[in-house]
Amino acid sequence: MAEGLLGQWLHAYPAGHLRVLSLVGIEVHWAILQYVLGLSFLAFVARLIYLRTHNEHWERLTRTLVKGFILMFALGAATGTAAEFGLVLLWPNLTEAAGDFIYFPLYAEIFAFIMEVVFLYMMWYGWGKLSLKAHTAILFLGMAGAWYSAAMIVSVNAYMVAPTGIMPAYNTTTWHFMYAEGYPKFTLHVPLKLILELPNGSKVSIPTLKLLNIPLLEKAGMTVVGMNKAGNAVVVEMPVRIVQRLVFEMYRGYTVKDSILQFVVNKTYVQEHASLAPILLNTPVKSIVEPIVKQTVRDEGVYSVTFKSPVYWASIIHVYGAAVTTSAFTLMGAYAIRYLQYRNRRDEDYLEYVRKAFAFAAVTGLIVIAVQGLVLGHEMGRAIAIYNPEKLAAMEATTSQLKHTMTGPFRSLFEDKLMPLLAYGSMHAKLPSYDAIPKDYCYCKLSDKLHQMNPSIPSDAMRGLVDCRPPLIVHYLYYGKVYLAVLLGLYALAAVYYVWRGWPNFNLPGWISKPGYAMPILIQLVSFLGWATREIGRKPWTIYGVMTVDTAQTVNPPSTGEVTLVAVYLIGLLILLAYGVYRILWVPGNPEKA
Amino acid sequence: MASTLNPATFWLAFTFGAHIMMVNLSVGLPPLMVYYRNKGVRDPRFEYVARSMTRVYAAIYGLAGVFATAFTVFLLSFYPKFIGLAGHVALIPFSISIMMIALHFLMLALYWYGWDRWSLTAHNVIGTLLVISAFLIPFGFRAVFAFLNIPTGLHFDAAQGKFYLSVSEFLAHNPTFWPFYLKTIVGALTATFVVVAAGYAYRYTHSEGLVKEASGIVVRQMLGPALVGLVAMFFLGLWYALSLMNIPYKFNNIFGGFGWKVGDGVVTYNFSWAFALKMFFYLSQLVIVALAYKAVRRETEAIAPRAKYLLYAGFSALATIVTGEYLNAFSQYPWFIAAVTDKKVVASLLAEVPPQSRGEVASYLLQVLDLRNYNTIATLPGVTWLTAGFLAFLIAAAFYFVYVLLLKPGGSESSY
Repeated sequence: MAEGLLGQWLHAYPAGHLRVLSLVGIEVHWAILQYVLGLSFLAFVARLIYLRTHNEHWERLTRTLVKGFILMFALGAATGTAAEFGLVLLWPNLTEAAGDFIYFPLYAEIFAFIMEVVFLYMMWYGWGKLSLKAHTAILFLGMAGAWYSAAMIVSVNAYMVAPTGIMPAYNTTTWHFMYAEGYPKFTLHVPLKLILELPNGSKVSIPTLKLLNIPLLEKAGMTVVGMNKAGNAVVVEMPVRIVQRLVFEMYRGYTVKDSILQFVVNKTYVQEHASLAPILLNTPVKSIVEPIVKQTVRDEGVYSVTFKSPVYWASIIHVYGAAVTTSAFTLMGAYAIRYLQYRNRRDEDYLEYVRKAFAFAAVTGLIVIAVQGLVLGHEMGRAIAIYNPEKLAAMEATTSQLKHTMTGPFRSLFEDKLMPLLAYGSMHAKLPSYDAIPKDYCYCKLSDKLHQMNPSIPSDAMRGLVDCRPPLIVHYLYYGKVYLAVLLGLYALAAVYYVWRGWPNFNLPGWISKPGYAMPILIQLVSFLGWATREIGRKPWTIYGVMTVDTAQTVNPPSTGEVTLVAVYLIGLLILLAYGVYRILWVPGNPEKA
Repeated sequence: MASTLNPATFWLAFTFGAHIMMVNLSVGLPPLMVYYRNKGVRDPRFEYVARSMTRVYAAIYGLAGVFATAFTVFLLSFYPKFIGLAGHVALIPFSISIMMIALHFLMLALYWYGWDRWSLTAHNVIGTLLVISAFLIPFGFRAVFAFLNIPTGLHFDAAQGKFYLSVSEFLAHNPTFWPFYLKTIVGALTATFVVVAAGYAYRYTHSEGLVKEASGIVVRQMLGPALVGLVAMFFLGLWYALSLMNIPYKFNNIFGGFGWKVGDGVVTYNFSWAFALKMFFYLSQLVIVALAYKAVRRETEAIAPRAKYLLYAGFSALATIVTGEYLNAFSQYPWFIAAVTDKKVVASLLAEVPPQSRGEVASYLLQVLDLRNYNTIATLPGVTWLTAGFLAFLIAAAFYFVYVLLLKPGGSESSY
């Protein structure tokens, strides 16, 4: 079955090997980034405790955390560059679209990067050269730079999960899908004037509403909402199957004569303006679609469009929570190892420091994993339930094709009552059924007609989009994450109990201290599974409702061998990094430097 | 000139200039760090040199990285369509650079933070990888730059309607790649020797004891290789200039002001002044280094009276790099690919495109490769002011940082 699920993920959507490489590359970056976000926060908290207590152990902990933060930042910058270029090289059309329409958060992220670099260096090299308060302020600004950076990047990712203006297909009143009515739809602002360039270089302005066959488009599912605020564009809700096809044609360099646009042109208008016909037919689709998207972005706000994604706030707080959780559990593991190494030695002061650091990590870990699971994760889940109902259906495996991880009598209670309550706030709600999602809901049927007229033009069914539904493997990824997170939460609870019971000279039993070796891997696994659910569960979309993976991908993909080589290289670097950090910060029998 | 300046080209030029100045030192410093690290095993003076060099290097590399990222994001925001095209065709050269950047960052972190944590052998292996990756990062990027001179190896697959790059053909036949790459490596090493000599000459005059002694030795050791490098750069520069004769548009913009022209002999934008400025910086540092070498070779005390001249030589070395890079980039304005101005190159490229699509493809390329066609929503006044504000902040902070790093007393970083 696993092979089948993996097969569905790899083969039911295009560019399987490129997606695997991106998964590896971005995960390597994300694994590191969580420490940049989390360690900086923990270091700041440790410094605040030091300012209050003046106990040198807290300063020592701050210094160790800052060292880890800087090390991770350097590697984060390197893997970030790799990830950035990876996106450009593997998904150039996605990158081009991002630069063209939603560039601002990427642009503004540069300033965050500047903050990080400047304050990180100043923090490190200024240790002992700046006053404690000034140094703490710089530590805070270094952390703020990292968090600001995440806020920018996550807005772009949130936009990819649920772009501003998306109207999902699941009706949360009737609990039915609305694919027959043309949903999901995407809100577009169509300029009243379309500017076309003539062969002689001059430009002609065409009234869009007269050029397009509006009744036909309405029949295809489009809804006219009204005028925009400036009165220079019509706001429409367009079925995503049409949107994605136009975006595909735009990035393939099609002209109108090879596009579905020819079917929605008002023939009467073209007949009345016969001289326009040949110009129009040879106009690139990009020249028509791009002004529409730019108008939409302008009306939504050039600077704010990605931040208005309906899943943005849930996403960013969930990311912060994940980062602090991962860092706290890694720290817990690290000091559990230290405890094992030093509990029988005579350096009491160092052991006291290790105990304090472990307690700090355990208490923080318990708090953040609880908040992450019960509040932040819940908010993320609710956002997904509303805006990505197909993904929720796959996560909950509401299908006869797959055995749910939960079986027996609890299954029906869980699926019929608890999950609807969590997802939609009512036990009377119904989860979306995976089996009710048409396999071809993202296909534009006009593309079949196009293909019949010109066999060299692929219909949507021929683009490698075997299935428009998300891969069912996300069910196991998601529940794997949930079960493992619960286990780690219980572990943190037990650790805090032992700390509390024996404070300040507590002893940790072997079953608490020994798992320390596995803790960084386990918590990273939880994080990976959550992130993989988010990304893999979006397939076949790269930007949900707008761009599919085949549209986004490069026209010159590397071979599977080349992709494997790069993936192995990146994983090798990550392993080397983990070993390096261990040697530098945690070499056995050698306390980290104060 | 005024017509060439817009927010897009201004920010690109600014960040590129800052990046390229620092990144040249990033190529030259790693071999020196490894060299002195090994000498430092038996001699604490060299241990000091290796550590101080690595500390400065880590700072420079970080700042260079920031400007590089700023440059790439600006490029993406201002010219997304060009990035789209480049992404489709330049997979291999970019991939080489990216993989080396990732390796370089990791090795730098392991080298610096792991100074006392690794055995000497392991530290040397890391150092060697640091040097190799430093030399290979520009290999990929200079390939892209040479491609932007002449797109050798670029073909059109008529069956699939796409452009693709034959990398082997590019490496074998692009006349500008090898001179450009070799000039880059030798130039970076030379500039580093000069800058290091300048930095340690300053330190020599402002320190006592072990630091003064070590600084004196470094200055003496740097000047010889710097002189050799500067002489080598004359020949490599000439080789690159000759290779540019294949692109008359660019060659004429650089040398036309001196009456040296090829092809149609048309000078579109006269940048000969930038070449003259570069030569001034080059020659002045050559003279200073040659005279200092002669004086210092036998007598360390001769450094002190020449320190300020050496500082000027260090400044000239960096200025030579920046003017050279600007000259190379500006002389092909407004084209991302200089050779699109050459009818023969364009005709040979379009010959592979089916006749019915030639007009469309040509129009697409001219649109995408023209620097004047920037993304207007990325150059809104608000964005420009925001960028100016943040970059001013960065520069002020960077200066303060350099002050804290190099001049402010106290701290305990030497123990890390």
